[in-house]
Amino acid sequence: MTSLRRPTTRQGSPLGHEGRWALLFLAPTLIGLAVLSAGPILATLAISLTKWDLLTAPQFVGLDNFAALMSDDRFLKAMRNTIFYTVVSVPLGMAIALGLAMALNQTIRGIAFIRTAYFLPVVTSTIAIALVWQWIYSSDAGLLNQAIGLFGIPSQRWLSDPVLVMPSIVAMSIWQGLGINVIIFLAGLQAIPTELLDAASVDGAGRWARTRHITLPLLTPSIFFTGILSLIGSFQVFDQIYVLARPKPTEATITIVYFIYENGFKFFKMGYATAASWILFIIVAALTAVYFRSQDRWVHYQ
Amino acid sequence: MNSERTGGGITRRLLALGATAAMIVSACGSATTSPSGSTAASISPTSAASEAPSAASTAPSAAASDAGYTGPEATISYSIWGDPAEIKSQQAVVDAFHAANPKITVKPTVSDWDTYWEKLKGSIAGGAAPDVFAMDGPLFPDFQSRDVLLDLKPYIDKEGYDLGQLADAAVADFTTADGQYGLPRDLNVVTLYYNKKLFDEAKIPYPDGTWDWAKLVEVGKQLTKDTNGDGKTDQWGLYTETSDMENYWSSLVWQNGGDIMAPDGKTTVLGTDEAAGGIQFLQDLIWKDKIVPDPALFAETGDAFEQGKAAMEINGTWLVPTHEAAGIDLGIAPLPKGPAGLATSINPTGAVVFKGSKNPEAAWAFVKYLSSPAAQTKLMELKASLPANKEVLAGPYASSFVGAKVLADSLAYAHLKPSFKGFEEFASILQEELNTNVFLAPNKTAKEALASVVPQLNSLLAGQ
Repeated sequence: MTSLRRPTTRQGSPLGHEGRWALLFLAPTLIGLAVLSAGPILATLAISLTKWDLLTAPQFVGLDNFAALMSDDRFLKAMRNTIFYTVVSVPLGMAIALGLAMALNQTIRGIAFIRTAYFLPVVTSTIAIALVWQWIYSSDAGLLNQAIGLFGIPSQRWLSDPVLVMPSIVAMSIWQGLGINVIIFLAGLQAIPTELLDAASVDGAGRWARTRHITLPLLTPSIFFTGILSLIGSFQVFDQIYVLARPKPTEATITIVYFIYENGFKFFKMGYATAASWILFIIVAALTAVYFRSQDRWVHYQ
Repeated sequence: MNSERTGGGITRRLLALGATAAMIVSACGSATTSPSGSTAASISPTSAASEAPSAASTAPSAAASDAGYTGPEATISYSIWGDPAEIKSQQAVVDAFHAANPKITVKPTVSDWDTYWEKLKGSIAGGAAPDVFAMDGPLFPDFQSRDVLLDLKPYIDKEGYDLGQLADAAVADFTTADGQYGLPRDLNVVTLYYNKKLFDEAKIPYPDGTWDWAKLVEVGKQLTKDTNGDGKTDQWGLYTETSDMENYWSSLVWQNGGDIMAPDGKTTVLGTDEAAGGIQFLQDLIWKDKIVPDPALFAETGDAFEQGKAAMEINGTWLVPTHEAAGIDLGIAPLPKGPAGLATSINPTGAVVFKGSKNPEAAWAFVKYLSSPAAQTKLMELKASLPANKEVLAGPYASSFVGAKVLADSLAYAHLKPSFKGFEEFASILQEELNTNVFLAPNKTAKEALASVVPQLNSLLAGQ
């Protein structure tokens, strides 16, 4: 087989004229990624092997931080809470978003306004949302307690009861995050060719059959995409915990990122905190790899 | 790609421009993941004329505070935590200082509590910390032991500065075996507030220095009522907080004859019966006598006393301005005494200098000024804390508002809030246990809860 000559341009460079311009435009982002992201990430790997309080010089301790984390009760509770949060909020959030998207996939008058209304929580500051939900969840005269009081159920301490607090935070987060998934699903729904659906209904398929056999399979790329975003995001939950678990997260509400923040910035244990963040990274990376591998089994690209 | 000049070309460009502008504006305003949300307001000093004459003439003892600064022109940065509105009052102090020391320019910044410490640690790590910054008593050892604070003893000795002019307990909080690493700027104690109107309506005499624990419970029960007959308490006898030792279980521990730390500061003595008894009293106030509301009830809606829903409140002196602003007919009384007598908590805030400051003399001049009568009288007007300067405390402060004398007198029986390396983590572990099992729900008695957490606390202290 003859070897392929690498194409060259008039200037003789293998990259080509357009290639060099591409590199030039990509340079700011690439340099930013290298200096501001990759560099610090590698630095944290080094820091995780030390004992560092931010104010004095770091001391090398090898893998002690990782060993200590495995037996740290609070870290294990943080893992448990984060996994609970993920397992509940991701599937539930996506299911509700999918249902909403199907409902919003119509061309009635005012649909644009309704879609905007559903998207508003996404662009509203978490602090503002948390303040409103604190009032809703208030044990004293909160909206939720008043509502269940109409059915004779006694007032609950939504944000103080160790059993109820995490589900309460999950509910608020699901509500807040719906908008993004709805938009993505809507786009996916609108990309489904209507001829397929018409052909199916001509063949006698009812609405549920059409959804099951045409809409959902063709939506799997969107489901895959929102799934991965939600998964990665929910493992890093911090904002909602920071504002709702006042004054401080307890064993019932602490999550991994809050644990990292607490140890690094309050307890003068930056090395310990970075070790925890690397464990989080490894977990999320592993799950993402598994998730991507599973693509072949259930995602149908058109 | 050719750009097509159609009739809508101009409109499209305007829309694109508008969209880009909107994106830039929204990116600037969007909330990033929380911790970095500080309000850093840096204001350069106004012209000297405004504050100078009044400051100099009202200063009773001008000697130490105006001792001349002989160094070169300097600009120093001053960082504190507080309400963003406080920048105005801090600016008044800064302006007066600039008038007295024209060669030194001070740039103040104010952040909220959480952001303040993050920024401080980050800036020290980066080597560019503020020259002068505020330090909380309990957190002082964590910073001093890591060698980031400047020892002020050489300056004190050289000028013959008299540390005795400042409240002794407050000075001690910033003293170590080998030096003086800061000067106290102001103090906070814990006191009993009461709503005169609610007492008058119930025809009960106001609290005074004779009250003890039994009297507190008795009057508290008389003032806890279900005013509208729906089976739920609407008015509480007493409101207090439970999530920090300062307000107010540490005072109860001391009033019961116990303590939090051993005299050598190396172990905790919360496991004793006396200490447990103090905390048990608070648990009983909530769950047995039911005169203090369940902490969850007002956690989100704020201070029950300010809302007129509680007849008394035991809390810190930093609340005086907000209580007055809430329109309560306010009275201030000493804390009721316990079986071992009177006790309250004192927590000084100090001004310290960064070890790597480029202008240590200028920084020292400013720190000295903050504790001088001139600055202390200005800060005193905020009413949010007690002055650290003894002269101002006994004189102008004690007569500055009704109840101020009670606060000034309470220093005589005040215990310092514990201050040691590892305080934040210690308090976090301890409060987690107390909140979950003692205050929010009576799952355990105080003794059981403390017994389960004291070993962990001691091993934390041992590892520091």
